[in-house]
Amino acid sequence: MIQLYNVSKRYSRDSVAVKDLSVKIDKGEFVYVTGASGAGKTTFLRMLYIAERPTRGQILVDGQNITRIRSHQIPYLRRKIGVVFQDFKLLQSRTVFENVAFALEAQGKKRFEVSKKVYQALKEVGLEHRLQRKPLELSGGEQQRIAIARALVVDPLILLADEPSGNLDQDVTMDIMELFKRANARGTTVLLATHDYSLHRRFPRRVLTLDEGKLVGDQRPLEMATAKQ
Amino acid sequence: MLEAIRYFSLRALRNMRQWPFLCMAAILTMAISLATIATFFLIVVNIEQLAARWTGEIQVIAYLNTPPSQQDVVRLTEDLEQIEGVETISYVSPAAAMERFRDHLGTDESLLEGIRADLLPASFEIGLLPEFRHQEGIEIIVARLEEILPVDDLRYGQTWLERFNTFINMLRFIGAFLGGFLLFATLFIVANTIRLTLYARRDELEIMALVGATMRFIKIPFMLEGAIQGFIGGLLSLMFLGVSFSLIISRGVDAFWLTPVDFDLLFLTAGQQLLLVVAGVVLGVLGSLSSLRRFVRI
Repeated sequence: MIQLYNVSKRYSRDSVAVKDLSVKIDKGEFVYVTGASGAGKTTFLRMLYIAERPTRGQILVDGQNITRIRSHQIPYLRRKIGVVFQDFKLLQSRTVFENVAFALEAQGKKRFEVSKKVYQALKEVGLEHRLQRKPLELSGGEQQRIAIARALVVDPLILLADEPSGNLDQDVTMDIMELFKRANARGTTVLLATHDYSLHRRFPRRVLTLDEGKLVGDQRPLEMATAKQ
Repeated sequence: MLEAIRYFSLRALRNMRQWPFLCMAAILTMAISLATIATFFLIVVNIEQLAARWTGEIQVIAYLNTPPSQQDVVRLTEDLEQIEGVETISYVSPAAAMERFRDHLGTDESLLEGIRADLLPASFEIGLLPEFRHQEGIEIIVARLEEILPVDDLRYGQTWLERFNTFINMLRFIGAFLGGFLLFATLFIVANTIRLTLYARRDELEIMALVGATMRFIKIPFMLEGAIQGFIGGLLSLMFLGVSFSLIISRGVDAFWLTPVDFDLLFLTAGQQLLLVVAGVVLGVLGSLSSLRRFVRI
């Protein structure tokens, strides 16, 4: 589903965010991307939805070389990818329903289809009773669940989450992780960038570890268990 | 298609409702800018109209070296009528000229006692059509007059005409220069106001791009919004001009020292009024487009 070959991202001569990164992620995998602040986790994810272009190397997403993609094709690639951020990125002037519907409207979906899918997505995250509320009237956890509903409502092939639990307490984080696991169980490939090591201890999955832009670890749950022993 | 038009229109209107202050700021900026340009245009047009009235006095007087016979006057008048640009022809015989002179002198007419009645030269006074009341037009006619008439001297207020020409050219130059400057300033102010309104909504633009909206999907509602704001701005500027104009008329234009009694101030024609509103729409759309380019990066 995702393949990176010798990918580097350099912002300036002295600032290298990602260095010679090669990795392969299969369809339906759940992968943590970990590392300290500044390790290159966010840049890695941003390159996958083409918010950044790599300086060197090739990236393939769903068989498509996205390093050579033309600007007008980017929206169509992004429709295959759901993105969740630490700061939620919700439109505060719009209702919960409108925020989730926005993703479908942007893809030109019909009105009846939009209403049906938005309701289903909000039900999935347990917020179907908050349809007409504005995001600021809700808690941080609820806002993140809306953001997840917005990312999932388009049935993405890939779900990218950049520190989704960064602003949330432990209980809410567990709820959010359940949502990601459910999406993954339905076949969505999930990449979750976090520096919270407790997450992969509780929900063991493959872990990619970055340090100063370089891939320094790629462990699968079995290897992790063996390493522990 | 209908669904798309409905969706984009609703989104444009909803955006305007959600950001009433920004929307009003954009509309008022456009209204004030358009009204300023249109006011300037009206000032230039009215000064030109006023100046054009002064040229109504322009005529060419051809003094003849010998008084023509009655038949010659008829023949020459017919020849002169053939010249393009000639509006009126009036023959003044030496006797008629003396009579005029006498009238001019009034109580001092005794000064003319003993002077021959045919002392003054015969002349033709030639009035010109409005489109020939300028230096080049007059020079063409004067050249033809010299061919047809036994001319001794030709008078048409050369110095005044040269000065008038300089004045009109300067007026047009200043009009074009200031008009261009105003237009540039308007474009700059409107684009920046719209940029400011979009800056406040950059999150929305970012999220749109993130969820896979195409450039067309992102741009159309904003362009539509710009068009609606420009349309309202254009109408407002027209209303402002209309009200100001009727106020000036009701106060009496003859109160101004430079306007003749029967002078009617010119207002924008129907076509120009339509152009003003269309200019508002174009301004709004272009302003949105140029600002969107800065904020939307896919």
